[in-house]
Amino acid sequence: LAGPPSPPGQDPHGWRVPVDCVRANELCAAEPSCSSRYRTLRQCLAGRNTMLANKECQVALEVLQESPLYDCRCKRGMKKELQCLQIYWSIHLGLTEGEEFYEASPYEPVTSRLTDIFRLASIFSGMDPATTSKSNHCLDAAKACNLNDNCKRLRSGYISTCSREISATEHCSRRKCHKALRQFFDRVPSEYTYRLLFCSCKDQACAERRRQTIVPSCSYEDKEKPNCLDLRKVCRTDHLCRSRLADFHANCQTSFQSPTSCPGGNYQACLGSYAGLIGFDMTPNYVDASPTSITISPWCSCKGSGNMEEECEKFLRDFTENPCLRNAIQAFGNGTDVNLSP
Amino acid sequence: GVAFGLYFPRKDYSENVYVDQPAGTPLLRIHALRDSHGEVAHFHLCQNLIISRARSHENNWFQIREKTGLLYLSKSLDREDFNMLSVGNWMPLSKVMLYVFLSSHPFQEKECDSATRATVFLSLINATAPACSSLTARQLCFTEMDLSFHIKENKPPGTFHQLQLPSVHHLCQNLSISYKLLAAEGMPFRYNENTTGVSVTQRLDREERERYELIAKCTVREGFREMQVEVPFLVNVLDEDDSPPFLPNGTDTADAVVEFNRKEGTVLATLTVYDADTTPIYPLESSRKKYTGTIITDDPWISETFRVEHIFDEIHFSPNGSQVRGTQHEYKLVLNKSISVTEHRSFQLDVLVNDTEFHGPERSVMLHFNVSILPVSIQFPNMTYQFTVNRNAERFAQIGKICIENCMKFRGVNISYKLQSHNTSCYAVGILQGREDKYGSLYVNDSSVLRRPECKEIQYAIQATDKQSRKHTKTLLTIVLEGTLLKKEEDCPDSCAVSKHHAECEECGGLGVLTGRCQWRQGSGKGITTNYSTCTPSIKTCPDGTCDVIESKDPAVCPQDCTSANIIGGHGKGTGNLGIRSGHGICYCFPRQNCYCEKDDIQEQLCDDVCKTVI
Repeated sequence: LAGPPSPPGQDPHGWRVPVDCVRANELCAAEPSCSSRYRTLRQCLAGRNTMLANKECQVALEVLQESPLYDCRCKRGMKKELQCLQIYWSIHLGLTEGEEFYEASPYEPVTSRLTDIFRLASIFSGMDPATTSKSNHCLDAAKACNLNDNCKRLRSGYISTCSREISATEHCSRRKCHKALRQFFDRVPSEYTYRLLFCSCKDQACAERRRQTIVPSCSYEDKEKPNCLDLRKVCRTDHLCRSRLADFHANCQTSFQSPTSCPGGNYQACLGSYAGLIGFDMTPNYVDASPTSITISPWCSCKGSGNMEEECEKFLRDFTENPCLRNAIQAFGNGTDVNLSP
Repeated sequence: GVAFGLYFPRKDYSENVYVDQPAGTPLLRIHALRDSHGEVAHFHLCQNLIISRARSHENNWFQIREKTGLLYLSKSLDREDFNMLSVGNWMPLSKVMLYVFLSSHPFQEKECDSATRATVFLSLINATAPACSSLTARQLCFTEMDLSFHIKENKPPGTFHQLQLPSVHHLCQNLSISYKLLAAEGMPFRYNENTTGVSVTQRLDREERERYELIAKCTVREGFREMQVEVPFLVNVLDEDDSPPFLPNGTDTADAVVEFNRKEGTVLATLTVYDADTTPIYPLESSRKKYTGTIITDDPWISETFRVEHIFDEIHFSPNGSQVRGTQHEYKLVLNKSISVTEHRSFQLDVLVNDTEFHGPERSVMLHFNVSILPVSIQFPNMTYQFTVNRNAERFAQIGKICIENCMKFRGVNISYKLQSHNTSCYAVGILQGREDKYGSLYVNDSSVLRRPECKEIQYAIQATDKQSRKHTKTLLTIVLEGTLLKKEEDCPDSCAVSKHHAECEECGGLGVLTGRCQWRQGSGKGITTNYSTCTPSIKTCPDGTCDVIESKDPAVCPQDCTSANIIGGHGKGTGNLGIRSGHGICYCFPRQNCYCEKDDIQEQLCDDVCKTVI
């Protein structure tokens, strides 16, 4: 029953094109009425519960609806990304009340396609990815990364950080490992990182290498498995994690209106927002080394959900039983992309 | 039970809205379930449309029938309205959100602040309503949302869903669309063909069954054509606290003995309490507060010295074939502070466990811990210590260990060892103790003393003191010097670890050696292994994977366990990034500088031609 999707990022109604929130904040600061309302709003958010009830807060919100702050977005890996997200959530938290199952993504929509990556990938590997069916793709990906100085440096950086033992009781520094992983996925082009993360496998050794990509013993596994809703709550207290999770939901949510099951048929956007979750509390990974049946999950379970079990399982299923994510990973592994006009 | 009041059997509803659909078009039907008989549901809408979750707009188009819960278009949305509502929507599909509220009384103030609300997602489709012939059977029969509902246990029956889609029924009156609920036999649900309503026919009990999986079947007839669609229809039963705590096998008593382990944080005993109700671990703190465990005592010493830790976990049990979730609560009696070695008492400690949300008479159980605190004696075993030390031993050679009775079992008891010397002129030995170590390590402190002929046997008194109670004990230690002095090789390095070959290793001495010569450890030689080849002062202590208190005194003693410098070649680092846990081939080190692990490919040649010539 879907209508034709309107092109994202454009302004069909002569409405201003969204600016990033750091810039929007500067524009607002230059305007006395905007900046004073923004200050009021931030004070309202400090006492979260009164947000919708307080008249002054509502007026501030209404005035700000007309300001560039309202439609502002952030870019993945932009300069001052954290500052941008802080500004974004300072406005949006007030209305969502933190209770929404899916939150809108603060990031700009991804317009590039997997085919862009395949083209680049075949240039540097010197072969068509579709024809190299016999080889171990995950090993090839590691080789390709090692031939690129930047990829090699940041990859060995996170691997050594994540495998460094601190003491007999502390297996590694998870915080530093996550930081190094974030740097890797933020600063290395996706033609390298996706090949490592989403390589296709025919045997267990290859799949085990794929599972080990993010050094799961440090970055993923933990002594105990928390409840997924609890983990989501922890993630949502952090602006970056919250944004990446919202982005994952926006781009990988199963859509019945698309033959690929992905929103807008965009595999690249789903894979990008998956990779964007690595290095946060919600870090996802392959749960086992099965070469063909791919199961992804964050490190959590729905045990102990009480009356929220249904909601918890729904949340977890967006990782474990997500046809969009699975199709996107398989499409990348097979070197196929759907040619839908963007 | 707890009064919940009226509630929605699902949280979210969804429907599509098209351009220029006429006013009066029904969109969807919302249901409410009751907490008690006689309650009447009243529905109302929040007068704000939430657009892309951040922007809001006054609702001019949608209304709900207060008594029936039917949401309908009160004013048609034209293209201009669509454009206005799509602004700021980033999704390819514009969605607006409405909140529906519920009350048992007619609404007075139309505010958006009740806790009981359901969310309606309306997809705004920028096209006129499709022709019925263009819709698939799936679209005619069901919305995209799962047919998934939750019904609270112990509540009166009632209708909670209508299978027929009001919008489709309104739009496609020529089509015959009929429904059936499959696998409903024996299940407490009934489908009413006239209204297409689904109702629950009796009070449900979650502890008996918490999930019902049915199938909704839809048949569309259009002339002679007949299409069928089946979708899952799920009902989850929500839990309330209607079961009291109980003890597995009636066990309410456990023994808690404090002897060698007296450290703060020690778990002395655990008792388990079961409950058939679920306990969410999210949010954790509130669940802990709902299920309390309190030490019942007037004795301030007991309340300071012990605490109760409560953990709980989900367990499964099967009352009648179908599996349901319950909770296992564990109450651990824990030492709140370290207990002195002199303490000696026995008493019963009672812990009251209270299921605060259960409203029956058996809401609490009493747990009993039989606590015995035994004193431990600080004394040496009935003997004096005697060690022999080779006169060629070097500084930091490890002679032996001193340990009071049961010292290795102690936790939370801080013993310090001291040497007292009678003949101070031959003071050759020292004692050291790691921070957590329970024993003292004897080592050569001054190797020149060993070489002095007048020193043959050295007597010491050893004193062990418990830091907390100041209790102490003494014994005698005799060090007998033996062996004849070897001639010192020239050009030998300080450290055994520098030697790279078997021969040169055993020719030289170094810091920490016991008999004047370093020892060679021959490794297995397979890849990177913990059993690598290396030269060490004593195979017993170096490398053993821990940088002990004597080795850490000087980096030349055992860099294989203690180095924090670079290791070049195939290797794995040890705990805390110290030492070489595993290495490839032979590992050798220059103290305070790098270590190297490498395969020695050139086998030690016995004697080549040049060598023969020289001989």
